[in-house]
Order: sequence, then C-alpha cells, then structure tokens
Amino acid sequence: MMSAEALATDRRIHVGQGEHHVTSDRSVMLTTILGSCVAMCLRDPDTGVGGMNHFLLPEGEGSGTDAGRRYGAYAMELLINDVLKAGARRDRLEAKLFGGGRMFASLKDVGLANADFAERFLRDEGIPVVGGSLRGPGWRRLHYWPATGRALQRAVTDNHVPLPASPSATVTDSGAVEIF
Amino acid sequence: MPAAAAIHVLIVDDQQSMRAVIRSSLQQLGFREFREAPDGEVGLREMITKPAHLVISDFNMPKLDGLGLLRAVRAHPPTQGAAFIMLTGRADRELVQRAVQFGVNNYLVKPFTVAQLKEKLEGVFGPLT
Repeated sequence: MMSAEALATDRRIHVGQGEHHVTSDRSVMLTTILGSCVAMCLRDPDTGVGGMNHFLLPEGEGSGTDAGRRYGAYAMELLINDVLKAGARRDRLEAKLFGGGRMFASLKDVGLANADFAERFLRDEGIPVVGGSLRGPGWRRLHYWPATGRALQRAVTDNHVPLPASPSATVTDSGAVEIF
Repeated sequence: MPAAAAIHVLIVDDQQSMRAVIRSSLQQLGFREFREAPDGEVGLREMITKPAHLVISDFNMPKLDGLGLLRAVRAHPPTQGAAFIMLTGRADRELVQRAVQFGVNNYLVKPFTVAQLKEKLEGVFGPLT
C-alpha cells in the first residue's frame, strides 16, 4: 500500500547498527537503513511505548551457532528491557521485523541468518509478529512510529553502502510500502 | 576439583532465549543438572523447594530482580550457601558493587562467551572437571 510521507513535524531519531531507542513520544519517528541487518520494532499498543533496535549477528556466527545466539539474544534483550522500563507490559508486546536482505549474491547470506534468528527469537519468547518485511534483495530504509505502530519501508537503490549521516549521498528511493 | 556434572544449577532469566543460551553454554562445560525460572519470584520458590548448588541469575527481571533474589537467597539459611553468579548488561556495572555487598560470588557481563563463563565458574568453584 502506498503511503503518505513522514510528517514534517515528526522528530526523527536514527537508530544505527548496534543501537536501540525507546520512546513513548507520539511525535518521534525512528529511522534506520537496513541491508543484511535486522531491525526489531517493538511496542505495547496500550501504552504506546515502543522502540527499535538494529542488529547484526557477528560475522561468521549464524543463527544456528551458540555465539550467534548469545549475541543476538543480548541485542534483543536490551530493547525489551528498556521498553519494559519505559512502561510497556511484556504480555502486550507486539513486534515487526524488517531487513535481513541478501546483499551480495556471491557471498554467504548473512541476512538470512539474521532474519532466521529474529523470527526464532520472537517465537521462543512468545512475542507475536504483527508485520514487517524480511529477506529479499537490497537495502531498505525504515521509518517506524512506536506510538502508533505504523511502519513505512522504502526500497533503496544504491551502488554504495548508504551513510545515514550524509543524506546527500546518491541514494534513490524506489517507492514506499506501508507495513501494517 | 568439583565435577561440573554434579553441580545442580538454577538458571533465572525472564527471556527463554537467554535461558537456553546459558543452558547450552553450561552443557558445553560438562554441566548436566538444570532447572529454570522466568523471574526472581519463581527462582526463589525453586530454591526454597529444592536448593541448587549454583544460581545463575539475570539482573533485570520483573517481579523480583536479580539483586532481590540474591538478598532473599542469602537470607534463607537452607539456600544461603549456594554460589550465585549475576548476569548484567554493560550499563549495569555499578550494580555489581551492590551485588558484592549482598554476597554475590561472581558476575558475568552479557553477551558472554563460553570461555568467559568458564572463567567465572572456576573463579567460584575452582577448576572444573
């Protein structure tokens, strides 16, 4: 479904790799750019408290390895703990998962391992996945409004690794899809 | 030199995934006897019902956190001799000092490796077989 752009009044907060951010501010839009990384968007719909992380399992440590699970479980725990501290209730949490793209056809599919891990983690924790977009080729730009749960994903075409700090880079959006 | 297989462990963490990670890591080190609890309250009940030799507990948990569990375990004579290792996040280092005051035996910062877990365990029990 095509969607309107982010509102000019939205306060944008970028979530970089290895970071997470939690808010209950209705004006906050969390953004990130994902390749093979995965972002978990998590919220309590009753309180509007929510957040996003952006994680990548260690290189060579897929979803099936102990080291991958140890690191991944910790990355997820950081976001869950902070959402709970901010007033969310664990039994009301719902998630959307994005990313895990296959970036280079000739290399190991790191994105697949990240996506598999994220899905397994949420299944094991009993947190429902209510939307999102995992796997597939290429970069994607993600906008997420924790207060409402709205998520907007754009496919990004670019020959270079996108640099979030330099919006003037030759990055082209190729259409937005609203994810429910 | 204690045999890891003879040490009964109670794993307390509100994330099932983290409990599985801890269990798997302990299995690699030769441990065989486990029980699990999803929060400090259940963990304390488990300890009172049947004391374990070792508690590995997360700090951040609902109902009763790791520090509360530690204090309760140390206050209850049948359980106060149990070894207690606290798991903390990087931002929780200052809490380690409080845990030490309440009698924690060691702590482990997440995400941890099996080698780091072994080092912490041997710091408490001595070399494991």
